[in-house]
Amino acid sequence: MSFWKRFSTNRGAVFGLILLFLVIAIALLAPFMFPRGPWAMVQRPFLAPFDAAGLYLGTDTLGRDVLSGLVYGARVSLLVGLISTVMALCIGVPLGALAGFYGGWVDECAMRFTEFFQTIPNFALAIVLVAILEPSLGSITLSIAIVSWPPVARLVRAEVMSVTKREYIDAARLAGLSNMKILIGQVLPNTVSPIIVMASLMVATAILLESSLSFLGLGDPNIMSWGYQVGAARTVIRTAWWLSFFPGLAIILTVLALNLIGEGLNDALNPHLSRKGRA
Amino acid sequence: MKLLKLTTFLVASAFATQLAAQEAGGRLDVIVQPEPPGLMMGLTQNGPTQMVGGQIYEGLLRYDGDLNPQPGLAKSWEIAEDGMTYTFHLNENVKWHDGAPFTAADVVFSLGFLDGTHPRFRANYAHVDSVETPDDYTVIFHMKESYGPFINAFEVGSMPMLPKHIYEGTDYATNPANSTPIGTGPFKFDEWQKGSFIHLVKNDDYYVEGLPYLDEVFYRVIPDAASRAVAFETGEVDVVPGGAVENWDVPRLAAMDNVCTTTKGWEFFAPHAWMWLNNRQGPTADKRFRQALMYAMDREFMKDVVWNGYGTVPTGPVSSKTNFYSDDVTHYTHDPEKAKALLAEMGYDGTPIRLLPLPYGETWARWAEAVKQNLEEVGIKVDMESTDVAGWNEKTAQWDYDLAFTYLYQYGDPALGVSRTYTADQIVKGSPWNNVEGYENPELDKKWAAAAVSASNTERQDIYNEIQKEIVDDVPVAWMMELEFPTIYRCGVQDLISTGIGLNDGLRSAWIQK
Amino acid sequence: MAILGPILGRLLKAAITLLAIAILNFFLIHAAPGDPAAVIAGEAGAADEQMIADLRAQFGLDQPFYVQLARYVGNVVTLDLGYSFRQGAPVLDLILDRLPATLLLTLTAFGISLVGGIAMGVAASARVGKIGDSLLTGFALLFYATPLYWAALMAVLVFSVNLGWLPGFGYETVGANYTGLTRMWDILSHLVLPASTLGLFFMAVYMRMTRASMLEVGQQDFVKTARAKGLADPIIRRRHILRNALLPVVTLAGLQAGQLVGGAVLTETVFAWPGIGRLMFESLAARDYNTILGVFLVSAAMVIVFNIITDIVYRLIDPRIGHKA
Repeated sequence: MSFWKRFSTNRGAVFGLILLFLVIAIALLAPFMFPRGPWAMVQRPFLAPFDAAGLYLGTDTLGRDVLSGLVYGARVSLLVGLISTVMALCIGVPLGALAGFYGGWVDECAMRFTEFFQTIPNFALAIVLVAILEPSLGSITLSIAIVSWPPVARLVRAEVMSVTKREYIDAARLAGLSNMKILIGQVLPNTVSPIIVMASLMVATAILLESSLSFLGLGDPNIMSWGYQVGAARTVIRTAWWLSFFPGLAIILTVLALNLIGEGLNDALNPHLSRKGRA
Repeated sequence: MKLLKLTTFLVASAFATQLAAQEAGGRLDVIVQPEPPGLMMGLTQNGPTQMVGGQIYEGLLRYDGDLNPQPGLAKSWEIAEDGMTYTFHLNENVKWHDGAPFTAADVVFSLGFLDGTHPRFRANYAHVDSVETPDDYTVIFHMKESYGPFINAFEVGSMPMLPKHIYEGTDYATNPANSTPIGTGPFKFDEWQKGSFIHLVKNDDYYVEGLPYLDEVFYRVIPDAASRAVAFETGEVDVVPGGAVENWDVPRLAAMDNVCTTTKGWEFFAPHAWMWLNNRQGPTADKRFRQALMYAMDREFMKDVVWNGYGTVPTGPVSSKTNFYSDDVTHYTHDPEKAKALLAEMGYDGTPIRLLPLPYGETWARWAEAVKQNLEEVGIKVDMESTDVAGWNEKTAQWDYDLAFTYLYQYGDPALGVSRTYTADQIVKGSPWNNVEGYENPELDKKWAAAAVSASNTERQDIYNEIQKEIVDDVPVAWMMELEFPTIYRCGVQDLISTGIGLNDGLRSAWIQK
Repeated sequence: MAILGPILGRLLKAAITLLAIAILNFFLIHAAPGDPAAVIAGEAGAADEQMIADLRAQFGLDQPFYVQLARYVGNVVTLDLGYSFRQGAPVLDLILDRLPATLLLTLTAFGISLVGGIAMGVAASARVGKIGDSLLTGFALLFYATPLYWAALMAVLVFSVNLGWLPGFGYETVGANYTGLTRMWDILSHLVLPASTLGLFFMAVYMRMTRASMLEVGQQDFVKTARAKGLADPIIRRRHILRNALLPVVTLAGLQAGQLVGGAVLTETVFAWPGIGRLMFESLAARDYNTILGVFLVSAAMVIVFNIITDIVYRLIDPRIGHKA
């Protein structure tokens, strides 16, 4: 209860949540709103918004409905953002937890490994990975996950280290619980809040990364995404501003919503921490 | 066309005198996209290299917009009536940019050089039996057999003349001169700031009196298509070569004050776009499926929307701009019902097919999307694959595709640029430019071979007519478009395009009206 | 002197990291479909078996994989980045040609984002809860949510095309042959748009961090003590809070270096900035193995240098940790 209370006192966070729900609803309802799909060429190309009945955001270079593309694009952005974040957590959390819990050479190895990945410029690595695996939804998601886990590992390691020092962990040790049981049962649950906060921001970053890759022509060609829409429209930005403006706006709003939610979660989950720890 | 007679073309300085109003001086900024890997035309043959290198190097002949040979380094030439000897008389006052004289020895050296590095040259040169140089300014080719298209093989991109005194006895690939190329052309290499620009300056010792007019040329490297359009708008560049900005930008730029466009200057290449259809396996191995594809596609719509109206929907393998074209063939119009009927007849089971677009920018991506949409409308499921240039080469060269976009140049003659895609001896894994689709038709193979070596142009035309009629019904590949690339330039730039290869060798006569 | 020891240690570690990166990337690049010979043959518009075989032999691609790897590692250890057959020049030359442009861009963007971000963060924290704070925070959030390439495109549209204030692309005016101050001014005017678009995104990051950190430090006991002593607010903020609040910001900035260098790829593409980011992107498409690997190594080295710089800054701000690793 007090969580919701604290969360809802942050007006920005509530606004972000409403925005995100809207995006999710649109993504889910896409096939009902536009049964012909986002690729159907429905009208003359380059119709400006409201030029033709029913085409509220106009048509693109091939005469496809921009709004329909936007609606289907929401699915891709959310999907890529969510799955790549989960994958990054799957790498970063165990690694960070082991490093923080065991310390010593485990810590040393894990941190060298993490540092190694942070030394490679991450966007450059993502480009190379997608180019090697050839652009598809799977390869894009995987590449984003591979470049975005190191901060998770660092965060979890730090949190685990501080939790491990607390008294009740000593108590658990004395009670004869195994290391694994302590780590999973006692330590990790206490690190969940900062992870959740970070995850919400990672989804936002992943959406930006996906759109940047698509902008460079490294998107999945079978799937309509916002980054694809901006990238495909950038050459006509002067003659048809709406083609890149609306998808751009969609990206900004969604990323903004996730950031606002992240801040709200941070305030609500870690009242003592206030706002920090975003790397 | 008549039999090739003993002909002599006299140069005179016909076109140097035809106009008197040219003004010398000035600087031209031209976009080059992408940045060429090198400028040494003997080693690199890609488009940007030819565009810049074509001002530095020269060929023995040049070709006008109707593909008639014109004097180049050779001031005149004769072809024996039986087509067995070609005699070239070289200009006598030509100097390399370092001052050394250009002679027949350089020609012979270039032939040997190119035979080792230039696959297209190699294919032509295979018809040559021996080369003779009776004096410093005469070169005689003795042929193994009559080979009509040979006269089209002397353009700078197909047979650039290279300096013997610089390359003889060196390792060509690592010769330091490759980065400071030396040719005989109207412009000399000055500086190349990688990633920014290539600077050429006027060759004051050029052998044609009064040419070139321009003092200097900057080839500008701007990697982003939108930025290239902006560069033209803001006046930073004067010439946007075909294909350097997206088609959608063309009408906007063309509508600006004092801006002219032309689609001339590509006649020699006649870029012909099609989709490889894998004739070996899957649904595309069935002729009816391939015909259904042709009926399913609205190629006129694609031309109008994707290419903004530039181009021509082709009737078959030979471009209407290439010699020996015939339109007496089956015409595939947009007819989805016919496509569906053909699919039903062959019992197409809905197996998805893969489509590999050409990774050359937005236009090509949109084109593939339009194809996919058209095919899905008649019930063909299409999975689009995405890859970069290297991946595309790999997949097509290794035959790992169902449908794959491509386009090839025709070089003015079906024997030079068309037959290589359809004859069985060209089915060799590893190259993306031969008979990649795996089409085999022994009857037609004989005709292609006969047409290439026939000494009579009427006979050649007859054979090519038969070939076109028959092959269009087989649909070995899906012919999509005779591409047209509009060149956009400031109207003040005069005589920019005067040959069939346009900007690739045109700057020697270009001048700026003040 | 206390600074030098740990830095030497870091350099050694950096060298090992770089070698590992070289090996990893070697595997990655060679796993990509196609090779440089196929690309060159493909671009020629005509190719036969012989040409491709000749090229492969010339590039050393006909050797077994482990031989190629051993050769490359041997070269890297002796600081030889190899030869780019595609561009016909040693990779080191190609990179050194373009490195100044990238360094100028990233360092300027880094400076803009750090100084601007900290200033804005301090300003916001001083007005916490007021309209000024909300405006600054909102501004930062907006930039944080805006795709870099999008901001770049818009900036070109507005400031270059519509207003005509600044050049929209390139490094300097081509063929103008400016020298001395005029040239510097010319380059500077070209630098404004790319550096600020790249910088604004990170400015948003540092601004939020600074603000949060300022607020947190402001609640700590020593600040309360200072206040109780009757010191003026601006003095407390500058002397006590800011210095401590900057530590996490500097740490973050070090961690972000990799993103900054990576972000330069996008910026360089939109602004036609002749730096190594673009070199990498183009070499990747051409499968110019040695060049991509070289750029990767150099950019990773840049990240390490950035990290070392932030480390030094950290030590300068906080003398207490001068002796820790």
